[in-house]
Amino acid sequence: MKYRTKWAHTLLIGALAVGTGSLSVKAQSLEDLNIQIHGYATQGFLYSSANNIFTTNSSNGSPAWTEAVVNVTAQPEPKLRVGVQARYFMLGNLGNAITLDWASADYKVNDKFGVRFGKVKTPIGLFNEIQDIDPGFIWVFLPQSVYPLESRNSLLTHEGGVVYGTLKLGSTLGKLEYRGFGGDRMLAGNDGYFLYMMEEGLDLPNGISGVTFGGALRWKTPIPGLMIGASDEKDEKWSAPAASSYSVQGVSIPLTGTFTINPLNNYNFFGQYEKNKIMLAAEYNRLPATVPIILSSSVTGSIPSVDKTDQRNWYAMVSYKVSKKLTAGVYDSQQFDHQSSLGPSRYQKDWATTVRYDFNSFLYAKAEEHFVEGTSLNIDPLMNPNGTTTNFKLTALKICVSF
Amino acid sequence: MKRFLLAILPLAAALIFTVQAQSQVIVIANSGVKASEIGKSDLRDVFTGASTALPGGGSALPVLLKAGTVHEEFLQAYIGKNDTAFRASWRSLVFSGQASMPKSLDSEAAVVEFVARTPGAIGYISKATPHEGVKVLTVR
Repeated sequence: MKYRTKWAHTLLIGALAVGTGSLSVKAQSLEDLNIQIHGYATQGFLYSSANNIFTTNSSNGSPAWTEAVVNVTAQPEPKLRVGVQARYFMLGNLGNAITLDWASADYKVNDKFGVRFGKVKTPIGLFNEIQDIDPGFIWVFLPQSVYPLESRNSLLTHEGGVVYGTLKLGSTLGKLEYRGFGGDRMLAGNDGYFLYMMEEGLDLPNGISGVTFGGALRWKTPIPGLMIGASDEKDEKWSAPAASSYSVQGVSIPLTGTFTINPLNNYNFFGQYEKNKIMLAAEYNRLPATVPIILSSSVTGSIPSVDKTDQRNWYAMVSYKVSKKLTAGVYDSQQFDHQSSLGPSRYQKDWATTVRYDFNSFLYAKAEEHFVEGTSLNIDPLMNPNGTTTNFKLTALKICVSF
Repeated sequence: MKRFLLAILPLAAALIFTVQAQSQVIVIANSGVKASEIGKSDLRDVFTGASTALPGGGSALPVLLKAGTVHEEFLQAYIGKNDTAFRASWRSLVFSGQASMPKSLDSEAAVVEFVARTPGAIGYISKATPHEGVKVLTVR
């Protein structure tokens, strides 16, 4: 594990070194570097008719959702691009820290082949690479069944590389975009992915990391605007030291052990159709995972437990550009965990309707209403000590400035 | 019949105006670009970041107008998006580390000047704007 982590960090440093080296060698002037600085900041507001959601006090109305992003890129020559992006993220009790989003060097030989390495976005699913890029879509929340906000870091980036390209299939068959990726993914011990476990007292002092690899295909069909695709991601076995405690007659006994995520296969099928003012998209995702946790102490001996999930997730969405500045949309998003016990915590069904208004190129606002049934996503027990409600509504507002 | 014709008259006028307006936008490229024409889908790919290849070889460097009628007409005619949707799709690429934003210039004269001196540059202007020193690409 340490070897892989070191290797991934070396690759990241290599990407930055390539970038820095290329800048000093190739650049004749600042204009030659084509340096760009872009950023955006968003402020959200959440109100739920019941259930505190996303670790916020949303049932009372909560503004605890702020993100700010800034990136710097340079393109010293047409085929080479380097860049780095930092993010401040705060959602309820999560985040409240500045992290490195990505840092990469990208060399595109031609349309058929390019390579990007460093810390890079993982190209799976229809929206994974942009699921945290708010200016890129009309929704306040992408469908949570496939793109759950709290645990998005578990799939968002990896340290390693991506190869990519587009192959023309002839005048009658359209084009095929491909992506292949591999490297290490790392999750901090306080990441939202571990939220429920953290709230039960589990501590991963070093976080967890492991090998991930996979690929994606997007067929841009001969029908203008229609794309069909699939992706597959495989993770090897990940393990990390874990700690917790066990209470016996009021005495807390420390436990230490191992937290493991067994090898998993995460796959998506998706399609999108864009024509003039309308956009249609749908995606299916299956994510089975087995997480054995073995903790022990001299008093209790070994305490093994296994957390199993088998999530079957899908959504279908449509959006329409009502005018130059106003876009409206609706989606149906559903998630089922086939390993979970029967009841409302086994599933979540979410009808959402949204509008986005672009005041100008730099400022927009979004408003979204969700009609939710089921509590399997984004509702943690600690924030809902009096229990949860199966059916509830969620109102989400967001304003964003970008440059 | 007469009322029907009267009803569709504004629509027909609007269509004629739109066609005429679109025909006023021309695509220009650096004089070093080998091709003299470009397919509509290739042009869309270049201006949406899906492709960096020019017909006939070489890397394409698209340049945009910041705003204005010519910009809107170009987007409608060749990209199929309005400005907000167009820039949103570019922001997705920029903030996910997949591309750099194309250069945006204030005036058509600045676009002509940039395209003339930058190998691989490709842009758009109105037909009436002086464009000596650049090549006009026919869009197929």
